[in-house]
Amino acid sequence: MKPRAPLGADLVIPAMALAFGVYFFFSITDLAWEAKANGMVIGAVLLVLVLIQLVRIGLRIYRGEADLRMNSIMEPVEALPKRIGLVVITIAFIATMQWLGVTLGMVVALFASLWILGVRSRRALILVPLGVGAAVYLLFVAALQSDIPHGPVELLLAKLFS
Amino acid sequence: MSWEFLLDQFAIQFGLWWIIWPAILLGIVVGILPGFSPQNTLIMLLPLTLAVPVEQAMAFMISLYCANHLAGGIPAILVRIPGSGGAAATTLDGYPMTQKGQAQQALVLCFTASVFGGLITTLATIALLPWLSQIGLYLRSVEMVVVMLFGLTLIAVIAAKDTLKALIAGFFGLLIGVIGTDHIYNTPRATFGFLELYDGVPLVPALIGLFAISEALVMIEEKMIVDEAGRERAMQARWSDTVDGLRLSLQRWWHIVWTAFVGLFIGIVPGAGASIAAFVAYQQSRLWSKHPELYGTGIPEGVIAPESANNGVTSGTLVPTLALGVPGGSTAAVMMIVLQYHGMVLGPRLFATDPGVAYGVFVSMAVAYIFMIFTILPLARYMSRVVLFETSYLAPIIILVTIVAAFGERQYLFDMGLALVFGVIGYIAHKTSYHVTALLIGILLGPLFEQYLVRALRLSEGNLMILFSSTLGNVLWGMLVLSLLLPLWRAYPQRKQAAERFGGEA
Repeated sequence: MKPRAPLGADLVIPAMALAFGVYFFFSITDLAWEAKANGMVIGAVLLVLVLIQLVRIGLRIYRGEADLRMNSIMEPVEALPKRIGLVVITIAFIATMQWLGVTLGMVVALFASLWILGVRSRRALILVPLGVGAAVYLLFVAALQSDIPHGPVELLLAKLFS
Repeated sequence: MSWEFLLDQFAIQFGLWWIIWPAILLGIVVGILPGFSPQNTLIMLLPLTLAVPVEQAMAFMISLYCANHLAGGIPAILVRIPGSGGAAATTLDGYPMTQKGQAQQALVLCFTASVFGGLITTLATIALLPWLSQIGLYLRSVEMVVVMLFGLTLIAVIAAKDTLKALIAGFFGLLIGVIGTDHIYNTPRATFGFLELYDGVPLVPALIGLFAISEALVMIEEKMIVDEAGRERAMQARWSDTVDGLRLSLQRWWHIVWTAFVGLFIGIVPGAGASIAAFVAYQQSRLWSKHPELYGTGIPEGVIAPESANNGVTSGTLVPTLALGVPGGSTAAVMMIVLQYHGMVLGPRLFATDPGVAYGVFVSMAVAYIFMIFTILPLARYMSRVVLFETSYLAPIIILVTIVAAFGERQYLFDMGLALVFGVIGYIAHKTSYHVTALLIGILLGPLFEQYLVRALRLSEGNLMILFSSTLGNVLWGMLVLSLLLPLWRAYPQRKQAAERFGGEA
């Protein structure tokens, strides 16, 4: 017997599209028609497309060819903790940037990411974050002078070079 | 315009090598990094371009702009991260070539298609300028709405594995593209209460999230980007691989020529841009190919078509800028500001009052392309070594550095978070085959689509039938329907054969 195709994950994007479409619709109800027209036209087409997809998946489940498992976004299972770890580190990197600054934040976040992904070479764990941190400092802070948050490293270097 | 005048212009531009070369190198760096757009770089360098004579300023800006278009294909090929929207289509066959251990050949194809595509269309523009400048005048709001839908449909057809999923992704992108205040009353829509979204969804975080971050999250499933055989090939990369890439390009010279002209004609339409041109060229290339089923598996034509077209756009974009005073894109708008600052009055009279500047711009572009091929071709061998890094190093560096790059465009921390959100959406779309590129193109076209649709609807007082009121528009509608039906029609004999075979076996 042919194994059933796991199609649960195929519903995530249509569900997001549908949820966003509904939110969009409620956010424009009180507006003038010019502000609504585009959203209505696109939303209507999107709704039809999502419904066709739902019917298509529904029919496959009804025929016993598929089920609602979410395998395609979970597999391979051994990569899942690494993936979640990278996302969590990135969130922490963004959230702490105000205090750590971009350079120190980058060094710490890159060290943690490399560790999570299985890098154990001490040389790599030290040199790669320091090298990338230095490159980010030179490009974004020294050369482009962008308004990216400054922390202890940037302030110290500014004092040294001023 | 005499031959003597033209040769003088070439001599002047070759004499500006000292400003063209640094601009090319800067353009390559800016093009490789997602988040660094040529217009932002040119804005930052305005103190320089406003201070020097107009000929030097234009040579600098044009060289940077062209090099940027070329370099966007480099990360698209090596790590499936387009440096700009125009290189998004290059990932479709460029990255599979890298996975097969043909990164060096793919890079050379990208460079030669970009340079010769750009050069041919620039020379054609110089010859045909008075006629080309008229094309943009025939496309009004109704036709532009259909052109946008046509572009999106083409991408869905390109996705081919599942057109419905690609259409859902495309229209979801279009709806995301509408986030922000409307064009007439400035009332916010679907902003989730974030002030940072009032100006709409910023494109750089969307591009970084959908391509760079999502790809990095997928990348960690394997130890290397390439398989063992591909790694062996990459380690033994030789100059002969560069020559092989040149041979592949020469064999497909006609492909470079006609896809470059697709880019040129699309570039002339204000607002259309390199992204649409690259996808239209890719789709047309596939449509007329004897082996459409090979597209997406890593074939030279799949790299040549988008790269040649997105460089064909460079000269096309400047046609309405100079001939009509309507900028063809955001970079052209910055150039227009510089030209006006130097006292140039743009429009048809420019070619009579300042032919040296008007034609000099295109001659400068041709010269930049000639310099570019000698600058970048020798680098292909070394660039292709990127694939030898393990993904445990590449993935976190890509995520964290591109997240920082997301800050660059508007200088909001919010944009970094937004890039991560798009990264997660892109990852889910990627793993479930909802075609990330269609999603991005939808976001890219969303604001433009609204602008043209509302303009058309205001003319008809809200009657949607205006979309079917113009002859050219109806021809475009017909082409749109055909582009959806033609692949089905072409696939029909194969399906029939398969069904008969299945029946026979049963």
